[in-house]
Amino acid sequence: MLSGDLIVDGRHRAKARAFSNSPQLSVSPSAPYQQAMSSRYKHCADSDYRTEENRNKRQRWSHCRKRDADGNVRRSRDESETHTSDGRGSNRPECFTTPESAGPMSRIRDWAEEVENDEMRTSVRRDIERYRRRILTGDSVQRERKMSSGSSDSRDSRDSPVPGDIETDETVLMRRQKQINYGKNTLAYDRYVKEVPKHLRKPGLHPRTPNKFKKYSRRSWDQQIKLWKVKLHAWDPPADEGSDLQAVDLGEVMDFELDVECSVDPDPEASSSKSSSSSLFPEVDLLRDSGTPHKMMKIDEAEMA
Amino acid sequence: MTDAGAQTLNTMEDSSKEEYKIHSFDPETQKLLKTALKDPGLVDLEAVSNIIVDQSLKDQAFSKEAGRMCFTIVQAEAKQNNSSMFRSHLLNRLQKEFKSREQMRKRSILEWVCYVSFICNIFDYLKVNNMPMMVLVHPLYDCLMRLAQPDALKNEEEVDCLVLQLHRIGDQLEKVNADRMDELFFLLRDGFLLRDGLSSLTRLLLLEILEFRAGDWSLSDAAHKYYYSEVHD
Repeated sequence: MLSGDLIVDGRHRAKARAFSNSPQLSVSPSAPYQQAMSSRYKHCADSDYRTEENRNKRQRWSHCRKRDADGNVRRSRDESETHTSDGRGSNRPECFTTPESAGPMSRIRDWAEEVENDEMRTSVRRDIERYRRRILTGDSVQRERKMSSGSSDSRDSRDSPVPGDIETDETVLMRRQKQINYGKNTLAYDRYVKEVPKHLRKPGLHPRTPNKFKKYSRRSWDQQIKLWKVKLHAWDPPADEGSDLQAVDLGEVMDFELDVECSVDPDPEASSSKSSSSSLFPEVDLLRDSGTPHKMMKIDEAEMA
Repeated sequence: MTDAGAQTLNTMEDSSKEEYKIHSFDPETQKLLKTALKDPGLVDLEAVSNIIVDQSLKDQAFSKEAGRMCFTIVQAEAKQNNSSMFRSHLLNRLQKEFKSREQMRKRSILEWVCYVSFICNIFDYLKVNNMPMMVLVHPLYDCLMRLAQPDALKNEEEVDCLVLQLHRIGDQLEKVNADRMDELFFLLRDGFLLRDGLSSLTRLLLLEILEFRAGDWSLSDAAHKYYYSEVHD
């Protein structure tokens, strides 16, 4: 009993430490913040811990977001979520109660953010239905142009799973959709879409949005997203246009490589390309110069997994 | 490609065809709003949302119609950038005002009534994947319940606002939360039956809204005649 608690606690602490060490965090957590975090970790279940991980990721991705340029400050979700300890919860969600008494720690969640989440949830539900129908009717090529959001995964027949193999877990799909959205919400993606029309894209050579409806392990999915993002960096705006942006993006690319090294299956390919990274963007050069970048093999491997 | 082109054309036609009540703004602001309606990517959408909310809180007529304008901007932004900054700014501001609504009511009944009218209008116009914005449902009920309190029922401006909102969005609200609509109508019924000192107009408005809901959010012809014959004459 007791030891179990300790283990959980220990793991979370380790995670918290990892956070504070990670260089890509834009805001280095202050001491009280960290304390609050670790005390919260004691209560939280595994699912929370995952959200936390995801949140960390999102912060990192937000570095190269293009549409926050109008000065909108993204609120930290941690602030708005610290209200949980209050036992005042009746049957009503806490966001709707006692707005006046909102002290320094507001119990009201963010309306705007809530609406964004609702929007994504309903979109994901709609997408599942479309995807199911598409698989069932078997015409995977014609229809997909008309699909609006996320899943622009063009698919050869090898790719179409049998209907039972679809990922239907909403939290998983939302998490994946968020990752995809962050990737798409970049200047590079806009440029890519403009420069390379869909029918000219070659599998393997051009980045292809991972298919969020397929069953993948967490690790495999995250890896696909990372590789997809790295590939998209080839369409980053020219360096002289926004040197700030480039610097951040470089950090991110390096970070991907580090992550690859940390994974259970260290890829010699990746580390070698990193060590020889005297040029600014090894992967980018790779993509531009040679027709068949090494990365493409890895994506396919990941997809097979 | 052609679809998208046709759609853009349609929106452009719409926005030029439709009249938005922006003539009361100074020329500079009018220009900003017109740009926001057509090309939201070019303007500071937080400033735009603040302008619209500020005006709504002052101008009762504007507060009743501003939702349509917000709808157009949200649509345009989604189409152009696939983003929803404007909606976020708008909701953030509305939430901020909501938190201090009791002070607002003390400060100015007009502002408070305008606020309720505006947020209801937003709820009416802005949908998320064809669904109402659920996050607004409880706040809206909170506002309407406040308008149904005894002290507010003595105030014709507030009663007028209350029944107008119920006429417009009562059925939508009931669909997403019928329990709170019941609660609200208990208040209205008790207000009508038990309160002294209500003006005859207030009693008429309350009676009409009770009958309106009882008739599944519509008035029978006979009832309509009963309430409006004098107006027509």
